[in-house]
Amino acid sequence: MITLGIDIGSTTSKCVLLEDGNRIAATALVSAGIGTGGAEEAYRRVLTAAGVDEGAVARKMATGYGRKRWPAADGELSELTAHALGCHYLLPGVRTVIDIGGQDAKVISLDGQGRMSGFVMNDKCAAGTGRFLEVMAGILKVEVGELAAMAARARAPAPVSSTCTVFAESEVISQLANGAAREDVVAGICRSVAARVGALARRAGVREPVCMSGGVAANDGVRRALEEVLGVPVTTFPQAQLAGALGAALWAWQTAEHKEMT
Amino acid sequence: MNTQELFETFRDAAAHPKKQLDAYLAAGEKVVLTAPVYVPEEIIHAMGLVPMGAWGADLPLARSKEYFPAFICSIMQSILELGIRGEYDGASAIVIPSLCDSLKCLGENWKYAVPTIPFIPMTYPQNRWGEVGTAFTKAGYERVIADLEKATGAKFDEEKLTASIRVYNRHNDAMRRLAAALPRHPEVTARQRSDLFKSAFFMKKETHTALVEELLGQWGEGSQAGEKVPVMTTGILCDSPALLDIFDELGLRIVADDVAAESRQYRTDTPDGLAPLDALSEKFARMGLCSVLYHPKKERLEYIAKTAKEKGAKGVIVVLTKFCDPEEFDYPLLKKACSATGLPVALVEVDRQMEDFEQARTLLEAFKVMLV
Repeated sequence: MITLGIDIGSTTSKCVLLEDGNRIAATALVSAGIGTGGAEEAYRRVLTAAGVDEGAVARKMATGYGRKRWPAADGELSELTAHALGCHYLLPGVRTVIDIGGQDAKVISLDGQGRMSGFVMNDKCAAGTGRFLEVMAGILKVEVGELAAMAARARAPAPVSSTCTVFAESEVISQLANGAAREDVVAGICRSVAARVGALARRAGVREPVCMSGGVAANDGVRRALEEVLGVPVTTFPQAQLAGALGAALWAWQTAEHKEMT
Repeated sequence: MNTQELFETFRDAAAHPKKQLDAYLAAGEKVVLTAPVYVPEEIIHAMGLVPMGAWGADLPLARSKEYFPAFICSIMQSILELGIRGEYDGASAIVIPSLCDSLKCLGENWKYAVPTIPFIPMTYPQNRWGEVGTAFTKAGYERVIADLEKATGAKFDEEKLTASIRVYNRHNDAMRRLAAALPRHPEVTARQRSDLFKSAFFMKKETHTALVEELLGQWGEGSQAGEKVPVMTTGILCDSPALLDIFDELGLRIVADDVAAESRQYRTDTPDGLAPLDALSEKFARMGLCSVLYHPKKERLEYIAKTAKEKGAKGVIVVLTKFCDPEEFDYPLLKKACSATGLPVALVEVDRQMEDFEQARTLLEAFKVMLV
């Protein structure tokens, strides 16, 4: 049975095609999220990559903030549930998932069987999210993807506020005006995200193993800073940004199975 | 009225307080606004005045920001905003208790921002037990009486207070019976449930009691059956239609609440056998189980966990009004108390300016998955 999960986020659309609930047949990631044609594009790409027709997909589930806006979906689930499922599949036994997306951050606790046992979300604030990194990259005139490498070259990370993106923006400008090295400022920015999300994680309770999912997981500077803040290893995986879509595909498979049984 | 008409009446009163206010004024009645929480409405009622709840509204805050800092309870801000906008025009006074720091700021700001409606403080003691505590409370009530007499020209009479206490005790009883009956009526939506409680702020107590008793009479036994997931809510307010619609859309059913604007205020009756003002002071001394009322053992937390279990709730949803420090102080302890009994807890932050509830939807959707 082929099932599909689509994660329509604030800045990207991700799609995963799953075969029999245990083999990833194809994936797609499009840098366009809610309110764009990104979801459709990701859907088309994943079908093409797998070489299957739309009719071959038994069940499609949507997640992410745009989940209600994708008419092709057979159902929807919250991204918390989706990331918990996806990360449990990618890293069986994981107990804490830190998902930092484009506009929010979430920490999910899982029990020994991979079931979600608790979670916390950030409040309405860009600090500690992918958006924060985008804004900071914009000030530094670098690509978001370059931040991790720059942070790795830092010698003395500059202090950057974790309270507010707007405050942090003026701090970064002040740091640069005072002659701080750009690499040190970038490391400070990564630490700022880690400090914010680390506090969130402590509220949820940190149990090992800990993994990161969502787009910001690709930023090794933030991942390493999180390890420092939490004092535990924080792992990630190449498909981290696809974990939500994967979880949705798994959910589609599980609910389709359930449907058949009943 | 049939059941549907009763619900429409509650909805109309809950959704249109201004209409209620204007109707009272047109009928020649004098209205006294009652801010959160625990204004001694019995006194206002006894003086022949109409007490009307002033708990703010969901609206953009602009003028109130001239008086408040950004990070303060939006309930207070919206009350002041409505006052400045003239939504309460015609009211004879506003009584604002002193039970949290934000309320104290509201009172002080009100004097300057809305000079046309006199501010009457009700200064409560946190140490409210025993001779000293009740004497302090009584002195606060006497100040309210004196200020009301000055602002409205109405006169206080102890016998009338005795009668008003009976009216309010009967309303308390009706609201407690309503809360007890609601879990057996899964057909009542979250919004309808909210209307039942919210309308009590704006209708005369005798009218509201009669309508609630009529509804209870029509309801019969009811049944627990239903596919919705039972939950308990706690917080200061839970009246945003957008948030309540999410409860209904997701199939979350409120079987019990510890919401200040809902069940929390109806738990304690004024006792018999004392002079009326002493009895009212004793009532306040007996109150507790509330985030704004000091209690050395914080029995409120165990009460919430126990009530949730008794009512069959599978989880507790904390509807936290942003920057409400009394509620925020209690939250970690509440979470711990619920966890100790195996009850999952979800925290939904709300404020009076919220337009977008998608984050709350995501959170509640995930919470429901955890509960089933």
